[in-house]
Amino acid sequence: MSKRVKVNIKRQDSPDSGSYWQTFELPVEDGMNVTTILLRIAATPTTTDGEKVAPVAYDACCLEEVCGACSMRINGKVRQACSALVENLLKEQPEITLEPMTKFPNVRDLVVDRRRIFESLKRVKAWAPIDGYTPRGEPDRMSPSDQEDAYPLSRCMSCGCCMEACPQFNDKDDFIGPHAVSQAILFNTLPAGKPLESERLDALAEAGGIAACGNAQNCVKVCPKDIPLTVSIAKAGRATTIHSIKRFLAR
Amino acid sequence: MSSQTATTAISPREKYYFLARRLHSLTGLMFSGFVCFHLLINATVLTGGESFQFCVEKIHILEHMGILVPVEMATIFFPIAFHALFGIVILLTSQSNMKDYPYGGNIRYTLQRLSAVVILVFLTMHIWHMHWLGKPFGGAQFDPANATSTAAAAMQSWSLWAPIYAIGVAATVFHLANGIWTALITWGVTIGPRSQRVAGYCCVALGAVLFVAGLGAVRGFMTYSVADGNETAAVEQVEESGH
Amino acid sequence: MAEKDVIVVGGGLAGLACAMNLAADGTHVHLVSLVPVKRSHSVCAQGGINAVNEVTRAEGDSEYLHLDDTVYGGDFLQHQPPVKEMCDRAPGIIDLMDRLGVTFNRTPEGFRDQRRFGGTLFKRTAFAGATTGQQLIYALDEQVRRWEAEGNITKYEYHDFLSPILNDNGVCRGAVIQDLFTMEIKSIPAGAVVLATGGNGLVFGRSTMSTICTGSASARAFRHGVRYANGEFMQVHPTAIPGTDKLRLMSESARGEGGRVWVPKTAQDSRDPKDIPASERYYFLEERYPKYGNLVPRDIATREIFDVCVNQGLSVEQGRLCVYLDVTELPPTTQQKLDGILEIYEKFQGVNPRVVPMKIFPAIHYSMGGLWADYVKNQKTGGLVEKAPKNHMTNVTGLYAIGEADYQYHGANRLGANSLLSCIFTGLFVAPCVASHIAATAEAVPSSLVDAAKKKETERHNAVAKMNGSENPRTLHDELGDTMTRNVTVVRKNKALAETVAKIGELRERYKNVGSPDGGGWTNQSVTFVRALDDMITMAEVIAQGALMRDECRGAHFKPDFLIEAPDSDDPATLRQQAVEWCKKFKAKNDKWLKSTIADYNGGDVQFSYEDVDTTLVPPRPRTYGLKGAEIIEEVWREQFSEKSPVGAV
Repeated sequence: MSKRVKVNIKRQDSPDSGSYWQTFELPVEDGMNVTTILLRIAATPTTTDGEKVAPVAYDACCLEEVCGACSMRINGKVRQACSALVENLLKEQPEITLEPMTKFPNVRDLVVDRRRIFESLKRVKAWAPIDGYTPRGEPDRMSPSDQEDAYPLSRCMSCGCCMEACPQFNDKDDFIGPHAVSQAILFNTLPAGKPLESERLDALAEAGGIAACGNAQNCVKVCPKDIPLTVSIAKAGRATTIHSIKRFLAR
Repeated sequence: MSSQTATTAISPREKYYFLARRLHSLTGLMFSGFVCFHLLINATVLTGGESFQFCVEKIHILEHMGILVPVEMATIFFPIAFHALFGIVILLTSQSNMKDYPYGGNIRYTLQRLSAVVILVFLTMHIWHMHWLGKPFGGAQFDPANATSTAAAAMQSWSLWAPIYAIGVAATVFHLANGIWTALITWGVTIGPRSQRVAGYCCVALGAVLFVAGLGAVRGFMTYSVADGNETAAVEQVEESGH
Repeated sequence: MAEKDVIVVGGGLAGLACAMNLAADGTHVHLVSLVPVKRSHSVCAQGGINAVNEVTRAEGDSEYLHLDDTVYGGDFLQHQPPVKEMCDRAPGIIDLMDRLGVTFNRTPEGFRDQRRFGGTLFKRTAFAGATTGQQLIYALDEQVRRWEAEGNITKYEYHDFLSPILNDNGVCRGAVIQDLFTMEIKSIPAGAVVLATGGNGLVFGRSTMSTICTGSASARAFRHGVRYANGEFMQVHPTAIPGTDKLRLMSESARGEGGRVWVPKTAQDSRDPKDIPASERYYFLEERYPKYGNLVPRDIATREIFDVCVNQGLSVEQGRLCVYLDVTELPPTTQQKLDGILEIYEKFQGVNPRVVPMKIFPAIHYSMGGLWADYVKNQKTGGLVEKAPKNHMTNVTGLYAIGEADYQYHGANRLGANSLLSCIFTGLFVAPCVASHIAATAEAVPSSLVDAAKKKETERHNAVAKMNGSENPRTLHDELGDTMTRNVTVVRKNKALAETVAKIGELRERYKNVGSPDGGGWTNQSVTFVRALDDMITMAEVIAQGALMRDECRGAHFKPDFLIEAPDSDDPATLRQQAVEWCKKFKAKNDKWLKSTIADYNGGDVQFSYEDVDTTLVPPRPRTYGLKGAEIIEEVWREQFSEKSPVGAV
């Protein structure tokens, strides 16, 4: 009576082992999302062949698309599993396919090691280098329009979708990824981040920096938070050019 | 799982990567300029063998001044050689995923790289076919002194040259138009989505004009009757009557 | 010099604030977190963060009134010195976060914008769109990354806290943790351990909390002798969106910006809500609470939704607690400020809340209770003594608790936008206290102690991994969640609570026969879950038993059988007499129950005791939001029962 859904999952037992596919089938629930599918499989991990298997390992945390944990390839495209509603996925194709992200080392099943994301934030020094944490009174005012420019960028949750979809982000290149470019631009815009502006531009002008971008612009298409990543990238292009010329002339 | 230290000492690759990428973009733009010039001049063949010969001779004034080769080397050969060689490096670092993400920008990204390969092959053939550099290898069928007829003869010497040139022109024009569009982003000229869209339309228009000019030139040389003429004499006549 | 290191467990606001503050002063910090710290549950906080500001000050607001609102909203169950310290430092904390680059919303002139939240009449709440928690935690995450790059912080992300390392004297000298990728168990010696491990909403199955909020770290500390206080005080948020995997929060800011709660006056009116005319809508919060309107404290709003849905049968959907939250009439610029939360509704419900009123439901949201943590009162200011090692130290020396994981600040009910404040405040404030503690500790941590702790946890891990009984751990969790949600949320009755305690006992027995379905050596989430289930059962015991024993109504803990009947006579003299009687009963109740519940593990035999509450700054008074006869009660209370406010407190 109730509708059922077939889910094909690409699995891998450990970082060094090979991958294989398993299929699960389960009843569709009202408002069901992909993380619920994985939760149900964890409760009764039995494949369509009737084989009892280990539950599928996956990453998830907030389940409301603000933490960035549950990125995975769903029907071939990277996105957050929590906001992927089964009802909508079934409109795309009759079965659901889940795969781990391909650009990060696999740990197990759908879990990948995304530390490279955070390392790239270190490279661009995406922080406010304030003196210390003792009170110093209220900082300068900020115009609402500046806030409106900065806020969308500050919603980046380091989920890795932009990197997964980027043809230039792979193990043949050390591109830091669209998110890091955008964070560098954010902190170069914020008064709090200004003191490190030049260091960030230096970092963006290094190998794997802004120059590695190939303008495929997939990043902005897959970003779950609709962050204007390509605008940040173009801004970074302009800023690094001017910065590099100035620095060359100052020598 | 403590994190590794973030940065190591800066290697030459690190140091010059940005410069190289910017030069790559710049040399691309330079070569684009040349291609525009080249295709438009070639298209003059449509108005008759004399006009093309006239243009070629104007260019070869540089030869009489003894600087044609240095100018050609500095503004065309070295830039495109760098563009091509570093382009190969870039090409090797890309990993197309057009199948999973069939978005416009991504398709253009992939086509940009595919067209680069086509151009590399085409350009090699073209240089062998027409340029004096091809002489030691039995090519170089083009003679500036009899520009229209030798070019036409070269084009008509093999039935596949026309389609090869058509493909070559298509690849070049796409690569050029899309390259200018991305360069505008790379250099931070077009920042917002709207300006990038408008720049896109402009590049499409430019590409269309060049494509028509390029195909026109191919057609012009294919239909030019080699036996007909002594375009050099014709040009000389025109010039004399002009004085 | 391991004994000079500090381990901070938990990478939410409190843990990050503490780690960065310690690191800035040169202490080496080991930061342990179940998830990359940027993904901690603090990101889910939406509405904002409270502090007195220039605008509210001009309207007569002060730090004292912030303290007053907080303890009144919390039904006086919190020790007041820490609350005072927090409220006093709140404005400085907002300035600090602003300096760190948090993109707070701005007024046209460029000042920070503020909105009003529940339980206060002042616009104290600064906010960054509808994702304030996310913005705040990112600012701290960036600072921690800065210190990580400097080498002052070592991060252990995807690591589970297994146990504190205690020496023979019961002093904490480190922690045992487990890498959730390789499953390797590590033992880290340290001078102090700070637990900033958040709440335990998963004890109730589905809640507004993230998948990691099992309370397992607290339970593990509890089993190692740390007291757990006020466990029964769980906040039920009035407005959440139900989902198959979690109940997603619909922030109080929706009401703070003017959103209105209503039900159709006709039960289960089948019309499109947009077609129901205003005259046929029951704006029950506005009608019942003219002063606070839709912004009554959360426990009150939740109970009114319960009353309207269950007692009056007016729920929008039969058999559930469902009411409309309506932002459709707000101007687009106001709706824009709420984009972050409206997007969530739209994404998960497939309905545009800017056009159609949202259907919302109450859901478990926040643990007011937590690990017992000490404080050192400053006799002069009434606040806390700075840098005193005992501040936020649990009863285990060297083991600290901060943030949602501790029991301070929120009493019986937390006010909206006070949690972000309490988390950042405790993190910042505790750092120098911890530093003083380690400065006074010179003794090295013996390696035998560290090795023994590791061995013990390794054995336990192996034992759990080998569990191959017939009980499905997920089924046990579902049963636990169902019984807790049914009996220990909005309305609590002793009979149902007793059944719940029995049910938990049954689950505890059945747990012994659990099967762990995964033999894998990498990221074995089954073992992690089975272990956390044990912890959740322990937490459930503390919550349910505490609720059963507390025979009164206080804040979020509502037992209708122990409600003091409100004065209702039409005759002024009788009314007054009734009010006097009410106050007498209230006073007697307070004498007996104005105490924190303290649970002691005691080798598995959980024992409860009660601790007096320091109410020296704001004398307790009846909480009369919307209560019938509120005015006469307040009058009588002032005349006959109230203690004098201490001098200088106003």
